[in-house]
Amino acid sequence: MSNKINAAILSGITMLLYSCTPTTNISKYYFENGKLLDSIQESYKQQYKQRPFSIEFTDKTFKNISIEIFTDTLKYIYEFSTSEDRMKDTLLKYHLSVTDINKLISQMASVHCTWINNLDYYVAGRKEFLVFMSMRAKPFNFPFTNKKYYILTYFLQPQYYDVEGRLLDHKFRKKIRKINEDIFRRITDKVAYTISDRFR
Amino acid sequence: MKSIFCFFLPASFYKIVATAISFYYITSASAFNKNNLNDTTPMSTQKEAILFIENIKDLKSSAYWPNVNPNLFLRNLKENIYTPLSIYEGSNTNFCGYAALSYLPLHDDPLGYAKFMLQLYEQGKAKIGTAFIQPSSEILQAAGTLKYKGVLDIRPADQVWFLSLADHFKGYVNFFNRHYDAGDENTFWASVNYAKFNRMVRKLFNYTVNTRGYDLIHPHINDLYEYISNKMKEGTVVLYLNNAYLYKKKHNTVRPAIPTHFIILLDIIKTGDFITIIYWDYGFRSLRQITPAFLKKIVFGISCCTKKLSHE
Repeated sequence: MSNKINAAILSGITMLLYSCTPTTNISKYYFENGKLLDSIQESYKQQYKQRPFSIEFTDKTFKNISIEIFTDTLKYIYEFSTSEDRMKDTLLKYHLSVTDINKLISQMASVHCTWINNLDYYVAGRKEFLVFMSMRAKPFNFPFTNKKYYILTYFLQPQYYDVEGRLLDHKFRKKIRKINEDIFRRITDKVAYTISDRFR
Repeated sequence: MKSIFCFFLPASFYKIVATAISFYYITSASAFNKNNLNDTTPMSTQKEAILFIENIKDLKSSAYWPNVNPNLFLRNLKENIYTPLSIYEGSNTNFCGYAALSYLPLHDDPLGYAKFMLQLYEQGKAKIGTAFIQPSSEILQAAGTLKYKGVLDIRPADQVWFLSLADHFKGYVNFFNRHYDAGDENTFWASVNYAKFNRMVRKLFNYTVNTRGYDLIHPHINDLYEYISNKMKEGTVVLYLNNAYLYKKKHNTVRPAIPTHFIILLDIIKTGDFITIIYWDYGFRSLRQITPAFLKKIVFGISCCTKKLSHE
């Protein structure tokens, strides 16, 4: 009987420790679902060329979104329910493909991606862009991590990382680059991740 | 002193006490001498500022600001004069208060702003309004080195401006962190409470600042839309807001009900059950449709800055 209790405690501790090692898990998740995640990123980049925008799921149920659409003079911030018809009118107004954006939204919901954005950053005074995707940790079913977000960054060029896999600022300077005040780690040469308490 | 206080009670206790005793402002005040017949808001045109800045062909490196490249500094000043709305606080910094007040000189006195910035760069100190700005050695070293803040990385003049103001002006929110250390642009060192913001506008630019609001509680205004609309007819309106609702960054059910963000309100229109606001919160203008209830939920302070065109 006591062996069973010990085994239960041990397995509980193992599960807890496992939940505290997200490094392996987000990498593993990326390699298992990379195709879909890459497809979301690619689709977003294609649509972004038509009109700069970002999409945010504003609720935990992934039914309401906020879309920020950039024009030359203004950033328009709209909030919709994903089932609302007026979203279609808005997308058409800004020459965004209704079919592609709807597909992107449903793909984002399927991986619990709360926010997708094109973020600018600077390398040696030069402006660069990356695609920034935040995912709620909940779909991974790790206990005690429901307030955390897994963030993936897709760079256009291969990046430099140190021996610990941390994203570096420059090949020779070996300074760690921060994005949104977070340190990112390598998944692939062009994809990095971090775990943050905020999604944007 | 900080460590002695912290030994007895946690820092948060003092922050709460300091916040609780903050003043409720319904005032119109000036930092300038009321007996002076020339007590008016300094004004100049964009054209005058362009003529001035375009005549500066060669800016030499400053011994005071070792990390500020003179060419980038000059380019940044020109960008601010040509496109005043492009000034950006930097991502994840607490510079929003300083960015918000920059709207006033960049629109109403760009020449005064440019002259002040050049003097500050060349001499390491300069006077603006009634404030004599002489940044500490930590600030002189830090300007030009801020990184990973978006476009602020390549805008050293904005770094000089924000850091110098944060170094000079102190409010109760800065009580426990008064001296700059690397990374403090993201901490309470750079924070701006409501009274501090209004004080800065008066001292730096000599506006009459009519204010309504608290640091912790929403102002009691029956028709907020009507009140703000009327204030917009008088001058530049700055809103002090709860940013956790305006730009959600977490999905936490409980969010702190405190204001942390300043924006310049450019327009407000009521259509049916919704209110459309157009505002500038650094880098670009935003348009958003909100409900009156949401407006009430996010607004903690309304400051109306009016120019003094003649002696009052």
